[in-house]
Amino acid sequence: MSSEPLIVFDHFSFRYASQQVETLKDIHLTLHKGEKVLIIGQSGSGKSTLVHCINGLIPNSFKGEISGSCTVAGMDISRASIFSLSKQVGTVLQDSDAQFVALSVGEDVAFALENQAIERKEMIPLVKKATDKVGMSDFLMQVPYTLSGGQKQKVSLAGVLHENVSILLFDEPLASLDPYSGMQAIELIDTIHQEDRTVIIVEHRLEDVMHREIDRVIVMHEGEIVYDGELNALLKANILVKYGLREPLYLQALNYAKIPFDKFEDVTNIQKIDFSNVQNELKTFVPKQMHKYIDHSEILLRVKNVSFAYDEKPVLKEINFTVYRGERLAFVGKNGAGKSTMAKLLCAFVRPNKGSIELNTTDIKVMTIKEVGQRIGYVMQNPNHMIVKHLIKDEVRFALENQSLTTEQIDVRVEDALKICGLHSMRNWPVSAVSYGQRKRITVAAILALKPDILILDEPTSGQDYAHYSEIMDFLDQLNKDHGITFIFITHDMHLAIEYTDRALVFADGALIADDEIQAIMANQAIIQKANLKQTSLYYLAQACDLNAETFIRSFIEHRSQS
Amino acid sequence: MKQFVINVTPGPTFLHHLTGKTKVMLFGAFIFYTLMSFDVRLLLPLFILSLIALFSLKPSWKVVIALFTFIFFMNLINLVLFWLVDPDVGQYYTTETRTILYSFGNFFLSRETFWYLLIRQLKLMTSFMVSLTFILAITPSEFAAGLYGLGLPYKVCTVVSLAFRYIPDIANDYENIKISLQARGLEMDKRKLNLFKRLKDNLFILLPLIISSFDRIGNIANALDLRAYGLLKKRTYYAEHEPTRADHFFRFIAIAVLLFSFAWIGSRMIWPPVTQMWTPF
Amino acid sequence: MQKKNLAQLILGDWNTKTVVGVAIGAALFGVLMVYGGVKVFTNTNLTTAMLIPVIVGAMFGPVPALVACFFGNVIADLIGGWGFWFDWSIGNGVLGFFVGLLPLYGADINKGIFTVKHAIIFAVIAVLGNALAFGVVTPLFTLLFFGGELNITFLQSLTGGASNVLVLTVLGIPLLFALAKRNASSQNLVKE
Ligand SMILES: Nc1ncnc2c1ncn2[C@@H]1O[C@H](COP(=O)(O)OP(=O)(O)OP(=O)(O)O)[C@@H](O)[C@H]1O
Ligand SMILES: Nc1ncnc2c1ncn2[C@@H]1O[C@H](COP(=O)(O)OP(=O)(O)OP(=O)(O)O)[C@@H](O)[C@H]1O
Ligand SMILES: [Mg+2]
Ligand SMILES: [Mg+2]
Repeated sequence: MSSEPLIVFDHFSFRYASQQVETLKDIHLTLHKGEKVLIIGQSGSGKSTLVHCINGLIPNSFKGEISGSCTVAGMDISRASIFSLSKQVGTVLQDSDAQFVALSVGEDVAFALENQAIERKEMIPLVKKATDKVGMSDFLMQVPYTLSGGQKQKVSLAGVLHENVSILLFDEPLASLDPYSGMQAIELIDTIHQEDRTVIIVEHRLEDVMHREIDRVIVMHEGEIVYDGELNALLKANILVKYGLREPLYLQALNYAKIPFDKFEDVTNIQKIDFSNVQNELKTFVPKQMHKYIDHSEILLRVKNVSFAYDEKPVLKEINFTVYRGERLAFVGKNGAGKSTMAKLLCAFVRPNKGSIELNTTDIKVMTIKEVGQRIGYVMQNPNHMIVKHLIKDEVRFALENQSLTTEQIDVRVEDALKICGLHSMRNWPVSAVSYGQRKRITVAAILALKPDILILDEPTSGQDYAHYSEIMDFLDQLNKDHGITFIFITHDMHLAIEYTDRALVFADGALIADDEIQAIMANQAIIQKANLKQTSLYYLAQACDLNAETFIRSFIEHRSQS
Repeated sequence: MKQFVINVTPGPTFLHHLTGKTKVMLFGAFIFYTLMSFDVRLLLPLFILSLIALFSLKPSWKVVIALFTFIFFMNLINLVLFWLVDPDVGQYYTTETRTILYSFGNFFLSRETFWYLLIRQLKLMTSFMVSLTFILAITPSEFAAGLYGLGLPYKVCTVVSLAFRYIPDIANDYENIKISLQARGLEMDKRKLNLFKRLKDNLFILLPLIISSFDRIGNIANALDLRAYGLLKKRTYYAEHEPTRADHFFRFIAIAVLLFSFAWIGSRMIWPPVTQMWTPF
Repeated sequence: MQKKNLAQLILGDWNTKTVVGVAIGAALFGVLMVYGGVKVFTNTNLTTAMLIPVIVGAMFGPVPALVACFFGNVIADLIGGWGFWFDWSIGNGVLGFFVGLLPLYGADINKGIFTVKHAIIFAVIAVLGNALAFGVVTPLFTLLFFGGELNITFLQSLTGGASNVLVLTVLGIPLLFALAKRNASSQNLVKE
């Protein structure tokens, strides 16, 4: 790239004051003006830490030891104040709860303007413009706690849009967005990039980010940069898996069918790939015999005519469904549709205004949260809402200590859960010293250790990298097969739903609009649109090659689980 | 989520539409006016005025009546205590006489004490009404903006608005921690436990609540810093609209009331020093 | 770390962290005043809210603790809706200041420093601070604002003070030890 260097890391290392080893190790990196850069890497690999160096939180807020140098727009970060950097850099933090600092949507979007003492007259149109862009202008008076996770994220985006900064940092902007909103967010970020700004995105959902062009990809692994270059070359080099990251599904499929990527010039855009000469190879990859999902008969949970509202506004209307023992179920649908609320109803955290919920034919109305909790384990969407202990291992231990188990039994279960979730080596750390994705895994471990009959996981994979994600999911699947544990996943990841569940309930605006096998739902364009869902790239691949999408996807999954 | 008496979003009536600065000024002036004197001729008109203001705000009467009754009886109990301890308590504040209205053996109710207690109750209720009207008319953001408009450093004003931002979160956290503890095996259901156990459990929730709330400081401060909080000596407020004609009028009233109060203190309480309250007898 | 002078220790830094800390403190104080314990012994305010200035003081110093207490009380009045009682807000502010003196006698919770010696000083100051705040300041303001019977006013104020001392010593000191231990344990992390 010809334009001037904007961000330069030279021999840069950083160690958090509370850590013994460096989190960023010998970083060499030059980013240029106007570039659009994607940073990927495993959870805990130091992506957020790198971002914090650029916006000045390191060393201004996070104390630690810097060696080497990092300059941003000509300023040395070890000397620049956070203000002088904030004139150049706008950041959307990973934790959207923390990002929302004002009492209403309008005020929060206006916050940066207020701090620059911009007159209210000028502020109002700017706020309107920014919220229009993210589709939140009808919510200006809303207070933060009535927004769903996805809605909050949009507000955070709007909050930095109008700033006249030249560098924008997005730390996992898609983490809790539904597929359609995620696509819109990516388009939005792309528009911002067109305004001649430098954009840096940290994101686990590589395939979603690829919806619009990216100039450059940086792969981080254990605090080091292991790849820095074009996306196309990265994908062709086939190295993502080595670093525990997921490649785009359609490329994974080509890999399974042993089709070399050199056959194509550019593999970054599925729409532009010519699959005509690999059709036959893909066809042979689809096996004849398909195993169909098992029919279940024992009713475990029955939801009858349930309606619910937190205040006046109805959140769920007349919901009816049944969960069978041993089933793997997905709740999918729009942001704010009421999926998390439905989960809270099932766990008796909130009680229905109308209708009833039966667990094994007992109305849970007569049960306490604890009694329901022994049967149904719920991993909440936001890990910060669940964690009560200081040390990681204590958090996982906590629930077990309330059960009649021997110390040895508890120890075994805690160790197992920590290992599955990749936290064993950090078990003695305080929760405050780990990354967001790691925190999410702590909550999964804490509930896994309990081994309940039904497990509800709210966005278990958001903010997770592929390696950790598949380890957890495969383990859960094993639990399902071996012990008949019933699962409900709440997810925006359509592929997760297809791969790990048998049936999906689709929510949109408080109503249950579909209840069917996941494949059937993904084939129904009307439902997909109504619920802000999106087809996976496997579907497009199958279509492009004139294959039956359903069998193709099935065999893909089959293949993965065998390998 | 429990409903607070203060509203977070501005209401629809005339008084709601004033700016935060005007509301804070009016409140400050009238509360000063209430506190300075025991004169029924000053208190009664304000009491009626605040009643009118309260009506104009179209509040939820259930809440208002409940609060009013609560404050009324709390203070009444206090007054009765005063009287039980010293039946002559009114003497020091009114005329130094003792005119007995009723007596029960050794005990008695004097006209002076009765008058004093009556006026004190009126004063407390006026102070309460002024506060309540203010609370129902303002939002936390307007409060912060209003304090800033009166010259408080904005870092102090932020304490008010930021605190209100996080109160629902704290309430939510409380619920979440409680639920999370319950779901993981701690019995806290009201139906199943005695009071003492519930108290102990509350403490069990309280500690993680306090600690996790303070743990958030770093994250929130980062979010503020990143959006240039503290950049300039001054700031503007999205929630504070430009003053209208009504605002100018009421600000003038507030200043007038304040000046009147000073004049009253100067002329009636300092020189000549009148320490007794006005009585009709 | 450079040595701070006395004025800085008393005033606090008032950077963004302090503002947020005080705001969170005020919010907790307000919530705990309204919901944290009143239900149990109606009329007496044995409130756990008094734990808040302990933490704010330990982290940021006495003036931030004062501000957190004063506004915390104002916030309690706002959400409770029972009107403003500035005599009590001022008293709470004064007490907050004394409780928050921790950094001045060498306790540093952020670094995990809190010894038995500090605990004793803390307890003594808690008693003296309450005596001043609720034995002198609040009743004086109550008398100035609303008049009333001297003995009852003092008595009411002092019961409040006594219950504060109870909360501060019985719950506050263990809390300080726990926080110090916790912060000390968050050092030198290494994967095992
Ligand atoms: N405040 C902190 N204090 C001490 N160590 C920290 C702190 N924040 C992060 N770390 C450590 O630094 C490492 C990298 O964290 P970072 O947040 O940069 O990861 P990440 O790549 O953004 O992960 P994720 O995808 O889960 O967000 C983690 O192992 C974590 O333990
Ligand atoms: N505690 C609450 N109080 C009031 N309203 C709430 C509360 N929690 C959620 N809501 C509202 O209820 C609706 C459903 O929220 P919910 O969190 O169940 O959505 P969701 O389907 O899980 O969305 P997402 O995919 O964004 O997580 C939203 O419109 C939200 O504004
Ligand atoms: Mg991160
Ligand atoms: Mg949700």
